This record gives sequence, C-alpha cells and structure tokens, in this order.
Amino acid sequence: MTAAAPASAAGTPAAARRRRPPRWAGVAVATGAGRMLAARGELVMGMAIQVLIVSAVSALWRVAVEANGGLLDGYDARSLTWYIAVSEAVYMAVSSRIIEEIGADIATGAVASEMLRPAPVIGVRLATQFGATLPRAVANLTAGCGVALVTVGAPPSWGALLLALPAIPLGAACNLVAAHAFAGAAFWLRDAGSAWFLYQKLIFIFGGMLLPLQVLPGPMRAVAFGLPLMTMAYVPARLASGHVEPFLLLVQAGWLVVLTVLAAAVFRAGERRLQTVGG
Amino acid sequence: MSSLTGLPATVRGAFAEAIANPKAFWAQVGVMIANDLAWCAFWVLFFRRVGEVRGWDADRALLLLAIFATSAGVVLGVFANSRHIGRLLADGGLDAALALPVSPLPHLLVRRMSTVNLGDGLFGVVLFLATGDPDLERTAIFLVGALASSGLLLGFLVATGSLGFFAGRGEAGDMGFHAILLLSNYPADFFGGATKLLVYTALPAAFVSAVPARLVDDFDPGLAALELLAAAVALFAGWAIFTAGLRRYASGSVWTQA
Repeated sequence: MTAAAPASAAGTPAAARRRRPPRWAGVAVATGAGRMLAARGELVMGMAIQVLIVSAVSALWRVAVEANGGLLDGYDARSLTWYIAVSEAVYMAVSSRIIEEIGADIATGAVASEMLRPAPVIGVRLATQFGATLPRAVANLTAGCGVALVTVGAPPSWGALLLALPAIPLGAACNLVAAHAFAGAAFWLRDAGSAWFLYQKLIFIFGGMLLPLQVLPGPMRAVAFGLPLMTMAYVPARLASGHVEPFLLLVQAGWLVVLTVLAAAVFRAGERRLQTVGG
Repeated sequence: MSSLTGLPATVRGAFAEAIANPKAFWAQVGVMIANDLAWCAFWVLFFRRVGEVRGWDADRALLLLAIFATSAGVVLGVFANSRHIGRLLADGGLDAALALPVSPLPHLLVRRMSTVNLGDGLFGVVLFLATGDPDLERTAIFLVGALASSGLLLGFLVATGSLGFFAGRGEAGDMGFHAILLLSNYPADFFGGATKLLVYTALPAAFVSAVPARLVDDFDPGLAALELLAAAVALFAGWAIFTAGLRRYASGSVWTQA
C-alpha cells in the first residue's frame, strides 16, 4: 500500500474553508434583510417619501431642461428623471442615521460588547446593514422608477439600466463602508452624533445625488470625480440615465476595496483604543 | 390661575436643558449651519447652470431658503415636540402632561427644544441679512412672512400628528413632517398638475417658503392675505384636531409601568 501524496496547501479542506465567505457574513446579511422586511411600515413610509422626493426633484430638472432647449450637459428630461429616480433610491437605501447610530454604539459601549464575538465587529455590522439595505433599495427603486415611468415613460436605454443593476448594490455598499469609516471617528471624539449631517450633504453635491456631476463647474467637477462619493449615487444614476459606461462599475469596485481597507483600519485602531482605555 | 401661567417657566427650563452643554450646543448649531450651506451651494450651482427659470433665480432661491430655515428653526427648534406628537400619543408620552395643571398642547409644544434646529433659525436670519438685500420694507415682510410660515408649519405638524388620536398610530404625523419639509425646499412654481394643487392645499408647502419669498421680492396684498389666512387655518386645524382627539383619548398608562 502506498501512502497518499500530501495534498498541496491550496487544495486542503481547511484552505477551501478559508476561501469561502465566513458563515457569519451570510447569517448577518439574512438577519439584516429579515429585520427590514419585517418593518413593513418603515418600507412603505420610505416608498411614499421616495415618490415625493423623485416627483419634486425631477420636476425641478425637467423644467430646467425645458428652459434650456431640451438638453443640459448631455441629459434630456427623460434621462434626468431616471437619473434622479435611481440616485435618490440608492442613497436613501442606506439608513440616514447610520453614522449617528454607530457613534452612539461606540460611545455607549455597545461596540465593546460586540468585540466579544468570534467575528470582526465591522464585518458583522457591514453585513447586517447591507442586508437591511437590500429591501430598502428594492422598495425605493420600485417607487422611484414608478414615478419615472409615469412621468417620462421607459428608461432611455434598457442596456444601460441593466448595467445599473449591479451598480446599485455596489453604490450602497460603498456608502455603508464609507459611513463606517467616517463614524469610526467616534472612537476618538466620543460624539459623532452630528457628523452624519456633513457626510450626507457631501453626497448631495459631490456624490451627484441632487445633480449630475457634469453640471458642476470645472474645478468642482474634477474634485467630485476624484472622490469616492461619486460611487454612491452618481454611478448607478448615470448608468440608469442611459449612458452605457461599464468602466464605472470598475471604479465602484476599486473604491469599495479602498474604503473597506480604510474602514477596517479605523475600526481596528479604534478597538485597540477601547481595549486600552477600557471602553 | 390660567392654564398658560407655567409656560414661560417651561420655556426657560427647556432652553436651559438645551444649552446645558454649551460645547455640544454650538457644535450642533454649527453642523446645521454647514448643512444649510450645502443647500445654498446647490441652489447657486443649479441656477448658475440653468439661468432664470419661471421667475426664479439664485437670489430668490436663497430667499426661499432663508425663510424656510427661519421658520423650520422656530418650529422644530423652539417647539421641538411639534414633530413628535404622533409618537408621543402612540407611546403614552401625553399622559405625563395630562397630570399637570396646564393646558396640554402648549405645554407639550414648548417642553423640548432642539439645538440642531435652533441653528437653522439663526442661519435663516443671517442668510437673509447677507443675501436678501434687506431694507426696512423687505425686512418687515421677511419677518411677517417667516412668522406666518412658522404658524402654518406648526399648525400643520400638530394637525397631522394629532391624527394619531384617531388612527392609533404615529405614521400620519411622520409622513406629514417629511412631506411638508421636503416640498418646502423647492420653489412651488416648478411643480405642475396634481403636485402644484397639493402644495397649495392639503400639503401647503408653498405657503411655508415659496409664497413668503415671492412676497419679499414682489409684495402683493392679496397674496399676503392668502398667506396669513393659510397660517390661521393651519393653526386652527392643529388646535381643533388635537382638542377633538384629546376628548376621545384613552391613556395607555405607559408611564406607570416603571
């Protein structure tokens, strides 16, 4: 009988397990999604607000486009309406209070107790929040795209809209991760309660939530295109507005990696500090 | 003793509570000012690109923002509970006020102040002084317009929140709050059809910001009378719905659970 040849390290069952996403991630995503689906009132309220916002903001842009000969920086009334429907839906899929909540959890010690789990604090938080974001995104898109369909008809390009589908969860993920990195300041400042206002407003302008980045004046546009905020509203909205630009998905993926590394580093340093000072 | 006698003391207490931590107070005021500056940036960028549309340009949009920020600051800052009436009813928060020898609605309204929104009010006045081309007449119209706008917003929030007495839940109040604040941010002349009808009637966002802004720029006595009438109707509706609801209110006795 011959001894079995030793399997290469990459082929061992242990290595295969390491490559698979950890089980807690799936459980956390499912838990977040389940909680959000159970809060039907919140979803319905979000949809109603979405209808109002998309109606108001898209009306503003439609009137502006009409007054400018039907075209504004490459957008017509139909493409701008679809732009706003998707930018608002993706942005509002992420809880607007997330930075405030993370800050409060850090300040009250809730994060310190989460450190006892056999899973990274930020990993579980991101997975749970991402799970909660998905039903919100679907509800918001249903409401926003419904308004767009009723007011201006079908999207400018079905192909571009297809490209927007992966851009929507990617955009929400970038927003979530960046919000965690931003909120991590609470490890040092103890009060990040109001920081979310500033973060939110940065996305308004530099993230392209209220206006396409092409509308910004030259230097501001250059800054906006160099910031990760563009991945959170502009990219999915740009694609949904009929622009077939698949490279934007790569831009999102790249920023997601960078932001994840940053947020993980902030939380690692913050957790070390909590351990040092006793939380 | 009048049931309103204790109000000044309640206001003083609420203000003392709001500024108990001066550092946090000014930080929150500053954050709200930064928030409002982002809206200023949006309107300047928007009109810089699209030019004057339907009688609106960047100056008038900033005037709209100044009036809206001032009235939102007064209502959500000084009468902070006005946006929480639906939740207070649902959670039994009204019970504590009913046990006091004061009129419940005024007491509830002044019981809490919101420091974040006080920053809004401050910003609105400063924005008008900085960009609203203030002279005696324009300043007087701005102040009366902001006052009418505040009354309307307060009445509307109390009315929609008080629907919780009948529905048993606070969603109508939350929805009313979000809807009127959202729509008040934009010039009503940009809306058409059903939305335009809505913002001049059931959801009177036009009277919160767009109409007072137009009055400051181009005073029209008829429109001014309509603005004051809208504010009076909203205030009366708020008071009447709250009073009618209070008659049928049955306590949840939540506060006795402790």
